[in-house]
Amino acid sequence: MIQLYSVTKRYSRESVAVDDLNLRIDKGEFVYITGASGAGKTTMLRLLYAAERPTRGQILVDKQNISRITSAKIPYLRRKIGVVFQDFKLLQSRTVFENVAFALEAQGKKRFEVSKKVYQVLKEVGLEHRLQRKPLELSGGEQQRIAIARALVVDPLILLADEPSGNLDQRVTLDIMELFKRANARGTTVLLATHDDSLHRRFPRRVITLEQGRLVGDQRPNDEISTD
Amino acid sequence: MLERLRYFILRALRNMRQWPFLCVAAILTMAVALATVATFFLIVVNIEQLASRWTREIQIIAYLQSPPPAAKIPELMKQLESLPEVSSVLYVSPTAAMDHFRQRLGQDQSLLEGISEDLLPASFELGLHDSFRNQQGIEAVISQLEGILQVDDLRYGQQWLERFNNFIRILRFVGIFLGGFLLFATLFIVANTIRLTLYARRDELEIMALVGATMRFIKIPFLLEGAIQGFVGGVLSLVFLAVSFSLVIARGMNAIWLMPTDFNLVFLSASQQLLLVLSGVVLGTLGSLTSLRRFVRI
Repeated sequence: MIQLYSVTKRYSRESVAVDDLNLRIDKGEFVYITGASGAGKTTMLRLLYAAERPTRGQILVDKQNISRITSAKIPYLRRKIGVVFQDFKLLQSRTVFENVAFALEAQGKKRFEVSKKVYQVLKEVGLEHRLQRKPLELSGGEQQRIAIARALVVDPLILLADEPSGNLDQRVTLDIMELFKRANARGTTVLLATHDDSLHRRFPRRVITLEQGRLVGDQRPNDEISTD
Repeated sequence: MLERLRYFILRALRNMRQWPFLCVAAILTMAVALATVATFFLIVVNIEQLASRWTREIQIIAYLQSPPPAAKIPELMKQLESLPEVSSVLYVSPTAAMDHFRQRLGQDQSLLEGISEDLLPASFELGLHDSFRNQQGIEAVISQLEGILQVDDLRYGQQWLERFNNFIRILRFVGIFLGGFLLFATLFIVANTIRLTLYARRDELEIMALVGATMRFIKIPFLLEGAIQGFVGGVLSLVFLAVSFSLVIARGMNAIWLMPTDFNLVFLSASQQLLLVLSGVVLGTLGSLTSLRRFVRI
């Protein structure tokens, strides 16, 4: 599903965010990307949804080489990818329903399709009773669930989450993780960037570790192999 | 397709409702800017109109080498009247010219005693239609006169006409220069206001791009919004202009600064009014388009 070949991203001569990264993530995998702040987790995710272009190397997403993708093709790539952020990135002036419907409308879905799908996914994240509320009237956990609903409503092939539990307490984090696991169980490939080690201890999955932009560890729950 | 259009319009309207302050700011900026340009245009047009009144005095006097036989005069008059530029023809015989001269001398008439009645030459005085009261019109008539009359001398206020032409030229130059400057300032202010309104909504633009909206999908509602705001701004500027214009008329201010009493101030014609509103639409759309380029980056 995702392949990276010698991918490097430099912002300037001195600043290397991702350094010679080689990686393969299969369809339906659940992968943690860990590392300290500045290790390159966010940049790696940004490369995957083409918010950044690599300085060097090739990136394949769903068999499409996106290293030199044109601006006109980016929207179609992003329709395959759901993205969840630490700061939720919700539209505060819109209701819960509108925030989620937005993703479908952006893809030109029909109105009746949108309503049905939005209700369904909001029910899945347990917010079907908050349809007409504005995000600021809700708790942090609820806001993150809206963001997840927005990412999932388009049935993405890949779900990218950048520190999704960074602003949330332990109990809410567990709820959120449950949603990611369920999406993964339905076949969505999940990449979750986090510096919270307790997450992968509690829900063991493949863990990729980055340090100063380099891959320093790739560990699967059942094998103890570590690359350096 | 229709569903799409409906969606875009609804979204443009919803955006405006959600950001009423930004919306009002953009509309008012455009209204004030357009009203300023249109007021300036009106002033220039009215000055030009007023100036063209002065050209009413323009006439051509053709002094003849010798008075034509009386029988031939009606025919000559007819020929002259048939010229497309000419609106009126008056024949002044030497006797009539002398009478006129005598009247002008008043108490000093005695100076003319003993002088022959036909000392003064006969002449034709030609009035011109509005659109020919200029250098070209006069030249056209003069060239045709030569085939009809035995002209000795021509008078048509050459110096005055030259000065008048210079005045109109300067007026137009200043009009175009100041108008252009004003238009440029207007564009600048409007584009910046719209840029500010988009800056406030950059999150929305970013999220749209993130969820896979195409450039077109992101831009169209904003362009529509700009067009709607421009339309409202254009209509507002027109209303403002019409109200202030009628106030000027109602207070009789035209009598103060315009000399001829039969002169009425000119307002924008129907097509100019339409142009003003359309300019608003274009201004709003262009303003949005240029600003969107900065904020929408996929």
